[in-house]
Amino acid sequence: KALAGLRRINLEGLRWRVFDAKGEVLGRLASQIAMVVQGKDKPTYAPYREDGDMCIVLNAKEVCVTGRKMTDKFYRWHTGQDGYVGHLKERSLKDQMAKDPTEVIRKAVLRMLPRNKLRDDRDRKLRIFPSSEHPFGDRPLEPFVMPPRKVREMRPRARRALIRAQKKAEQQLQGTGHTRKGKKREVQIEESDG
Amino acid sequence: MNKDKIFKLAKGFRGRAKDCIRIARERVEKALQYSYRDRRTKKRDMRSLWIERINAGTRLQGVNYGNFMHGLMKENIQLNRKVLSELSMHESYSFKALVDVSRNAFPGNKKVALPPKKEGVSIVV
Repeated sequence: KALAGLRRINLEGLRWRVFDAKGEVLGRLASQIAMVVQGKDKPTYAPYREDGDMCIVLNAKEVCVTGRKMTDKFYRWHTGQDGYVGHLKERSLKDQMAKDPTEVIRKAVLRMLPRNKLRDDRDRKLRIFPSSEHPFGDRPLEPFVMPPRKVREMRPRARRALIRAQKKAEQQLQGTGHTRKGKKREVQIEESDG
Repeated sequence: MNKDKIFKLAKGFRGRAKDCIRIARERVEKALQYSYRDRRTKKRDMRSLWIERINAGTRLQGVNYGNFMHGLMKENIQLNRKVLSELSMHESYSFKALVDVSRNAFPGNKKVALPPKKEGVSIVV
């Protein structure tokens, strides 16, 4: 099992950081995770050795993306020999989340790590779970949950759409359930009021 | 004699480059070129490593590297980055004092994030 696949290669003087992906934007969360897994937030960083903390990511199903990425972001890869033109396969974010939501975050973090020999070791330090349960509850070394930085909500032109959505919600007097755009703006409304 | 010098320099090379003179000569020439270049890039690399370490150390206190150095320049503290990185690794309290000095010298760098973090544990590790 990949979860309990902790070999003794990674030394256990490291902390276990728990990231909660619920409501976090995918890329911003992934860049924070990549910083922690590389060990770049410790002043004893050394590029030749691998010193990052173990990262556990929970609620991988609940990670958010902005814009239309849920339907329009594609993961593409080449199959067949040498990446010929006809062998391009792609899969959209929606399908990937349905199939395996941990892969979304894992790909995001892996593509942010430097491509060197330590990348696989860093991959091994990253454990992602789609919901809140994880088998590491008995680890004594899980002291704290790291709060990543709060991101400012940038709204150049979405403000008009937001007002429109607000008006529609007021007119209909019901929560906007379907479209993710509506939900995202509702989240923005809450955060702006809060 | 030239051969002996070349083989002496070719110790530890891979494959036939340590045994056969023709290959060894090429590899040794390349190795000397690399070492010439890297004596210069080593200074750059070390400086960037110090900056990364200082950045990590200051971000633990809530200040990033740019604001930290700006504050130090304002206060005319001329410690160089090598010393600052050593301080951030080993002398955490002195480094904290420096970060506070820099924060006072520079407008409004209050605790941006993470006050309740255990800083002692992280720096000891």
